[in-house]
Amino acid sequence: MKRVPTVITGTVGMDAHVIGTKVLSRALRDAGFKVIELGMQVTPEEFISVAQETRADAILMSSLYGMAELDLKGFNEKRMEAGLGDVLLYIGGNLVIGRSDNQEVEKKFKALGFDRVYPPETDTEVGIADLKKDLKVRGKM
Amino acid sequence: MKKLRISNKRIDDDLLMKKRREELDKWPTGREVDFDEAVAYQKSLPDSKIWWKVMVKLREEGRMSVFPRAGTPILENMIELCQSLRDSGVVLIPVTTDSYTRLGQYEKIEEILKECYKTGKPLLNGFPIINYGVKKTRKLIESVDAAFSPRGAGGEIAIASGMTTAEAGIGFLGFGSYSKKMTIRELVERSQNGMRTIGWYADRGVILCKDLHGWLPSAPFPLSVNIVCLIIEAVTAAEQGQKALYPLVHCMGNMAQDMAWIRLAPRIIREYLDKFGYKDCMIIGTCPAQTPLFPVAMDLGGAFAYLTYVSMVGALSKANAVDLRSIDEGAGVPTRETHKVSYRAAKWIFDIVREQKINFEMKDVAVEEKVTEIEVRAILDKILDLGDGDIVDGTIKAVESGVLDSPWSPNVNVKDKVLGVRDARGACRYLEFGNLPLPKQVKEFHRRKVAEREKLEGRKADYHTAVRDLWSLSKGKIVGIPPYNQ
Repeated sequence: MKRVPTVITGTVGMDAHVIGTKVLSRALRDAGFKVIELGMQVTPEEFISVAQETRADAILMSSLYGMAELDLKGFNEKRMEAGLGDVLLYIGGNLVIGRSDNQEVEKKFKALGFDRVYPPETDTEVGIADLKKDLKVRGKM
Repeated sequence: MKKLRISNKRIDDDLLMKKRREELDKWPTGREVDFDEAVAYQKSLPDSKIWWKVMVKLREEGRMSVFPRAGTPILENMIELCQSLRDSGVVLIPVTTDSYTRLGQYEKIEEILKECYKTGKPLLNGFPIINYGVKKTRKLIESVDAAFSPRGAGGEIAIASGMTTAEAGIGFLGFGSYSKKMTIRELVERSQNGMRTIGWYADRGVILCKDLHGWLPSAPFPLSVNIVCLIIEAVTAAEQGQKALYPLVHCMGNMAQDMAWIRLAPRIIREYLDKFGYKDCMIIGTCPAQTPLFPVAMDLGGAFAYLTYVSMVGALSKANAVDLRSIDEGAGVPTRETHKVSYRAAKWIFDIVREQKINFEMKDVAVEEKVTEIEVRAILDKILDLGDGDIVDGTIKAVESGVLDSPWSPNVNVKDKVLGVRDARGACRYLEFGNLPLPKQVKEFHRRKVAEREKLEGRKADYHTAVRDLWSLSKGKIVGIPPYNQ
């Protein structure tokens, strides 16, 4: 039987911009994933504990309010401590305050442990195609 | 007809004073607030700092101001920012608080604020009113000759500092758009039976003004539910002693609808305030607002066009204020320069178009106004019916049963059974009616309009159509057919 990967979605920190993660969650479900939809304002700790409980394959975070970097301070260390080093980490949205260069933002969040970093207005199909590719490489799909 | 009423247990003054003090005791700066001194300070303010008087003056003179959003954490930079807004013709100045202030995380803010001063960088996405306290915030207010409004938070520190707007009554914004788990009963409990600080100030001759938001239609969706909520907000605020208010009217980008809603909202709110017996509560203006998804930061042309569109709709509708975001809205927190250039553009339209005082009637506007009015009355009738004449009780039952419903809410307690799409001319229509109690002929009207778009695009409208329409204004394409350049 084909394995159904489990993914977690939500906005990180105190961000209330929920529409993106709602659209993404449904698109993931339609694409055959098992989606744990945490909705808005999910703490980094909650992402970690839910990932442990559900043995998730990936965490897909959204943030539109510019404070993701503050919210994710120390997140990578905590997820490593929690033994979640092989969980794929994606993030997308307006990730820093002010006008910014997408490549620099990508570099910054990759340094925080994220595997993929997306600018605003990315189509869900793009993220889902990447996810399938990354999961296949890791033998999880 | 049943007797109209508002269930509301006004707390007595002793309890009110205790609750106000408790709220202020959450952070040391609260001790700076002396209630009587705050009243005296408010009374000493010049007319140019009193929000409702500024709005009335604008209306009387046939002029308008931008009502922007602005907040940056370092006090000196905030003063400079507000002064530069004033220099761009803005007389209604916001003090947008950061997200942590809105959640009461003052200790965390204190640390970040230190870091801001150390690095000179704005590490918070707004101005933390509570952490600054009365003395420092007064410094901001006294530095710029304009009226100030706290956004998102601020409580009595904002009032004592000389800001002249404050919240009272039921506010759907916190429930429908910013809360994940609040129930409608909790919202009512919090806003009806709790603080009536605004009434306390009004009793002492200080009129604090309030803008009504209603339940935000975060995506293309007809405005009827929102306008019903504006009415609920208005009468419940008036019951708490609010004497001056004005509606924000969320423009969705179809000009006939936007202008219809701007005409309808103040008229029908006035009617219900009178019906409920609040004839002394003033409606001091109307403020068209930008609500749907903004163009991304890199699309400067689109961002400019969007803000000038809403300015134009406001100017043609003879509004006295327009709630505008800067061209950097899509980028997060705007810089001083982008604020300036954005509101200069709006001011240009105000000075050129608003002053022409153009009178014209448009058939499409009349149709949209009529349709929305029928919907608003149908939903309100049902609410009053559910509450047996009590608008608060009816509202609780209406939200719980989906008689009041809005799409894309983050709140798990919202039914979320409704959905909107645009029609062949970009107007917002219902794709899913959920449990909204709309008359049959109105539902038929929407179905007919959606069918026109389906014919144009050659496919059925569904959930994916609604998702595509989320981007209609941010990507600059309101009608479903592909743009000419593709």
